[in-house]
Amino acid sequence: MSWNRPLIIGLLVVLLAMTWWRLHPAEEEIRRSQLLMGTVVEIVAGGQAIESLESAVDAAFAEIARLDKLLSRYHQTSEVTRLAESARGSKVSVETMEVIALGLDVAQRSGGAFDLTLGKLKALWGFDQETPTVPDHAALSIALNGIGPRALSLQGQQVNKRAPQLQVDLGGIAKGYAVDRAIAVLKEHGVVSAAVNAGGDMYLLGQRPGRAWRIGIQHPRQTETVLETVQVHDQAVVTSGDYERFFEQDGVRYHHIFDPKTGLPARGCQSVTIIADSVALADALATAVFVLGPEAGLQLLTEYPQAEGLIVAADGTLHSSPGWARYRVAP
Amino acid sequence: MKTPWQIMTAGDWLVVLLLLGISFTGLLWVATTAEGTRVVVTSGGQTSFTAPLNQPRTVDLDGPLGQTHLVIDNQGARITGSPCPRKICISMGTAKQTGDLLACVPNRILVRIDSPVGEEAAYDLLSR
Repeated sequence: MSWNRPLIIGLLVVLLAMTWWRLHPAEEEIRRSQLLMGTVVEIVAGGQAIESLESAVDAAFAEIARLDKLLSRYHQTSEVTRLAESARGSKVSVETMEVIALGLDVAQRSGGAFDLTLGKLKALWGFDQETPTVPDHAALSIALNGIGPRALSLQGQQVNKRAPQLQVDLGGIAKGYAVDRAIAVLKEHGVVSAAVNAGGDMYLLGQRPGRAWRIGIQHPRQTETVLETVQVHDQAVVTSGDYERFFEQDGVRYHHIFDPKTGLPARGCQSVTIIADSVALADALATAVFVLGPEAGLQLLTEYPQAEGLIVAADGTLHSSPGWARYRVAP
Repeated sequence: MKTPWQIMTAGDWLVVLLLLGISFTGLLWVATTAEGTRVVVTSGGQTSFTAPLNQPRTVDLDGPLGQTHLVIDNQGARITGSPCPRKICISMGTAKQTGDLLACVPNRILVRIDSPVGEEAAYDLLSR
């Protein structure tokens, strides 16, 4: 067989093109992090040219920053701060209304295990301070006075407070909502593959090249160990655990997920991971299930067919909802 | 009978060798400059420090509150000292896999484990 010049030249051009592609891939992945909403927000995006990804990610971060100013109780001008200061309530933006509406739904369906009015209780424990302390019984009673799933009500964009001293705290859901909105912004910019992770509240948009996103779930007692790995796409994954923020006093561990009935840290679980179709919902359900404990928590999840959960009970045993297995990656 | 396209002249061979040389040089450059798994630290939005994960060292990272002490050893990267009030960054444990993050929010320090594009990890993100 004689050598064919066009064939040789053609092969060499292909080789050159492959080399060029290896050196300058048209599609890459970018990974950006910013400190927002009191935590690390990381956005990973891929599947298209870097320039368009950069502008999409910038817009997504801007959206999270905007929502932080709206929903955080640490901003003096936020709507949440305005709500806390008002005696009867106030009119809020559509975004705040959506967060409160979802929060109230989970609060009512969970029998108050999730609560949007724990601002006073959280301030009392001082987990945001240098030295958190265990409050006495009288102080706890005052902080819990008037809270509950019916402490707030919505009439359109008007939020009504049942008692003037109520302090709204959207910390259990606002971060998740911000991630949902960031994902919406990325989609508007045409991004089809991305992950937005705000301190563990994450949404996985689309796929990685050739496969779904793989998410490791932290073991609640062995910091070096991954409890399970799940594979998801177009889903939210949120974990709440008693190991995230805690202090010890007189040999007892006190963590930051409170049972609204007692004002004390909930004791039924070590961690709860929820996979759902929105981060805000997963965020609220992770807290509610944690407070309820494994049995009542799994019962609550039956009311949300779009959500599945994995629970590590206080004794270390694993419990999961029936649909969880489809996400699990075989070890 | 040979057509003109089947005759390789000296000029043809020159073109072939030139293209092969360009391709080989490019691939060699990629192979020699590709980095392994690295620890990347950003402070105030700017990359302030980066080092291979497989080279043990300790480093003090400057932030607005003072110095955050980072240790890199055969376990991974972890924060062992921090001027922040609640020391959450210290309790975050060790970062060792691509995508793992450590953060000291008050001191504006972010530590991330990064790998070259295409390197597979057991998971993409850690939920905790």
